[in-house]
Amino acid sequence: MTTKRVEVPQGWEAFAWKWMRYSGVLIFILAWIHVLIQDILVGVYQIDTSYVATRWSGGFWRVYDFLLLFFAFSHGMNGVRQVLADYIHSAGGRRALNWILLILWAIVVVVGTIAIFAFTPPAG
Amino acid sequence: MSFKTASEGYVKYQGLGNWAFVLHRLTGLGVILFLIIHVLDTAAVYFKPDLYVDAVSLYRSPVFGLGEILLVLSIIYHGLNGLRVIYFDMINPDMWTIEINRKSVIWTWIITLVLWLPAAVVMGSHILEHLGG
Repeated sequence: MTTKRVEVPQGWEAFAWKWMRYSGVLIFILAWIHVLIQDILVGVYQIDTSYVATRWSGGFWRVYDFLLLFFAFSHGMNGVRQVLADYIHSAGGRRALNWILLILWAIVVVVGTIAIFAFTPPAG
Repeated sequence: MSFKTASEGYVKYQGLGNWAFVLHRLTGLGVILFLIIHVLDTAAVYFKPDLYVDAVSLYRSPVFGLGEILLVLSIIYHGLNGLRVIYFDMINPDMWTIEINRKSVIWTWIITLVLWLPAAVVMGSHILEHLGG
């Protein structure tokens, strides 16, 4: 059996398809390190406001968390879009779906980004 | 290939590759649902610190602890299966045969379990240590 090669038209959907793969490699590294540290080595019982204050006292983990937020959330929301598009067959329905998910994506990314960079440790 | 063809194709082909695909979608949807909640509850540490304290204490309950163990399973599987798909798609498309696909799916599940079990033991022992307080 041979693999059939086809020409795919270049456009937004082709870009989105490639985006899932390139961002996937990056998230594989960022998310696994995040899970290893926060869920397994540290654990939720040692995570509190002062832990966050220590973690975000420098720039490195803030930038790290921002990159993870941006890439993982964009990858995930595009994944939701691709899954739902398999069940929504009308052009208008897909357009509405794209807008709803884009707005939700923007809200969560903006809220998360503000928190990451604006956070200052509580006094005392 | 239209999306309709694709979705009908998914139903007709029921091999291991199809189950890998279905699990990839289910674990992905599970992780993004958690991620929406997780970004917002972590953002509370800046916007509403009291709420952040409540959220963390909720995550410390045994039920959420078990959910966290399943979340880690989802992330390990989704990541490994994703790398498998990326390798096939971007580097070596000739590997998209039913037989190679089937074998690589089995290996993906084996590696997933090998990585997940020690993580589940560590996380499970954390839950047991904190039972009842």
